[in-house]
Amino acid sequence: MLKMTHLQKVYRTHLIETHALRDFSINVKEGEFVAVTGPSGSGKTTFLNIAGLLEEFTGGEYWLDGVDVRGLDDNARSKLRNEKIGFIFQSFNLIPDLNLFDNVDVPLRYRGFAAAERKKRIEESLSRVGLSSRLKHYPSELSGGQQQRVAIARALAGSPRLLMADEPTGNLDSLMARGVMELLEEVNRQGTTIVMVTHDAELAARAQRNVHVIDGQVTDFDEEPRLRGAEIGDRRSGEVVA
Amino acid sequence: MELRPILSALMRSKVSMILIGLQVALTLAIVCNALFIIGQRLDRMDRPSGVNESDTFTFSSSGFGEGFDARAVMKSDLEVMRQVPGVVSVATTNSVPMSDGGWGEGISLKPDQKTSTAGTAFYLVNDSAVQTFGLNLIGGRDFKPEEVQDVTFGDRPQPEVIIVTQALSEKMFPEGGALGKQVYLTGDKPSTVIGIVERMQQPWMSSDEVEYSTLAPVYMTYGNSSRYLVRTEPGRRDEVMKAVEQKLAEVNPSRIIGKLKSMQDFRADAYASDRAMTIILGTVIFALLAITALGIVGMASFWVAQRTRQIGTRRALGATKFDILRYFHTENFIITSLGLVLGAILAYAFSLWMMQTYQSPKLPWYYVPIGFLCLWALGQIAVLGPAVRASRVPPAIATRSV
Repeated sequence: MLKMTHLQKVYRTHLIETHALRDFSINVKEGEFVAVTGPSGSGKTTFLNIAGLLEEFTGGEYWLDGVDVRGLDDNARSKLRNEKIGFIFQSFNLIPDLNLFDNVDVPLRYRGFAAAERKKRIEESLSRVGLSSRLKHYPSELSGGQQQRVAIARALAGSPRLLMADEPTGNLDSLMARGVMELLEEVNRQGTTIVMVTHDAELAARAQRNVHVIDGQVTDFDEEPRLRGAEIGDRRSGEVVA
Repeated sequence: MELRPILSALMRSKVSMILIGLQVALTLAIVCNALFIIGQRLDRMDRPSGVNESDTFTFSSSGFGEGFDARAVMKSDLEVMRQVPGVVSVATTNSVPMSDGGWGEGISLKPDQKTSTAGTAFYLVNDSAVQTFGLNLIGGRDFKPEEVQDVTFGDRPQPEVIIVTQALSEKMFPEGGALGKQVYLTGDKPSTVIGIVERMQQPWMSSDEVEYSTLAPVYMTYGNSSRYLVRTEPGRRDEVMKAVEQKLAEVNPSRIIGKLKSMQDFRADAYASDRAMTIILGTVIFALLAITALGIVGMASFWVAQRTRQIGTRRALGATKFDILRYFHTENFIITSLGLVLGAILAYAFSLWMMQTYQSPKLPWYYVPIGFLCLWALGQIAVLGPAVRASRVPPAIATRSV
């Protein structure tokens, strides 16, 4: 699903070069739930941005669902991002002036779905996160946990192959965080690959596999996925090649 | 198109939308009516006087001292001026078009008519005036030297023959024209129309009957004063003006030569207020359009800055740069369109008020649709810069901490 080999990311100014990622290799297989951990400044967000096609990389290879993303132009990257990836952000990133229906509709419009198809997907995804009765509500009328559920609904509405979650519970209290995490686990059980960047060791422990990043390099990883209760036997193992 | 969600989002931040919409509305209403007024003024300024303006000038001569024979001096002056190199023709006249000073008369078809058929400018000229003014004689003939009467100031001239403009001819005789007909000007004695000129404006530009003019063959001095009209060879007017002034002063120093003034100067003076109005209204239009454009740029720039993270999120969710560009252009289109609808109502209301208050003509219907197109274009051009900036917001902004 997601394969990076010897990936480099260098930020250059006229004075200095900063190696945000160096010789970074990872292989996330379809259906996995991988947690990427590491201290601040370690390169987690850079990894997330590159994996989510939000930023370009300097060297190495990156294959996303069989597509070599090197050399893709901005439009192609936008299209690929829209079709393959769902994003969940720490600050939810809902659009405050749009109601829940329209918020979930945003990526679907860019996908070019017909109105009827969009409506069906929006209602289904909001129903999946338990907010089908609040279509006309605005984000400011919801709790943080509910807002993150809307963000998850928005991420899932386009049926992405990969869900990228950036500190998805970072702005939530423990009760809400647990609810969101359970929702992500359910989504993963239903077959969506999830890559989650987090500081939270407890949260990371709930993922099938952990990748630890320090100074832009993978320093520690689980070779085999940890099995979670009922899903034993349902998983193929992920492989980290770094 | 994202019309509905954009409109719905705009409805949640109404103040900016209303302010810009109102600005667009007022701009449309004022610009349409101001352009219409400018158009009217330009049309007015563009009216042909019917005379040669580029090579013609006029001036007065006022004699002083005992024994000054104005009539004799007038006739000798004409001869002297004809000898000046570059002079094509000279004439006497009591007034010239666009000068704002002259003789007005009522012209009637019957001697006992209580209300005259038309008002006319009454130009008292000699037999060379048609040529000197450069009038286009389209019917009949010019005056003969023997037809020119000597009239003393204070007497009412009763010319036997006259030349009238085509407009006056058609006014008096809508069917068949005035040529050969008898009309009454200053008394019971009829005047026969012997010639028709295509056009000759009155001295008064504000008159509704500006092309109703009559030429009568009359030498008339005003005390010791007389007025001359000189036509020069093309391009020699200024040179001849100096030469004529010098020559007349030499041949008879017992008089004062008034300011020599070209017909172009008369035109410039006659339309000075129209020109000033055009410039003022043009400046107002430019300022309004500039303020509206800057308002749109300011609002759009503010919204781009305010929504940087939102734009990044949209990009992360799959929007292309073009999608972002289109979003801001659509948003501007909606705001401008709402303003324009209100502006159209205001434009017609303003026109109606002008009609009722100043008897202005009705604003032609096509001004508002053209104004729509222009302001739509202005809005789209104004929002282009901020929209391009928005489209350059990188999608990675979405993952940055607040």
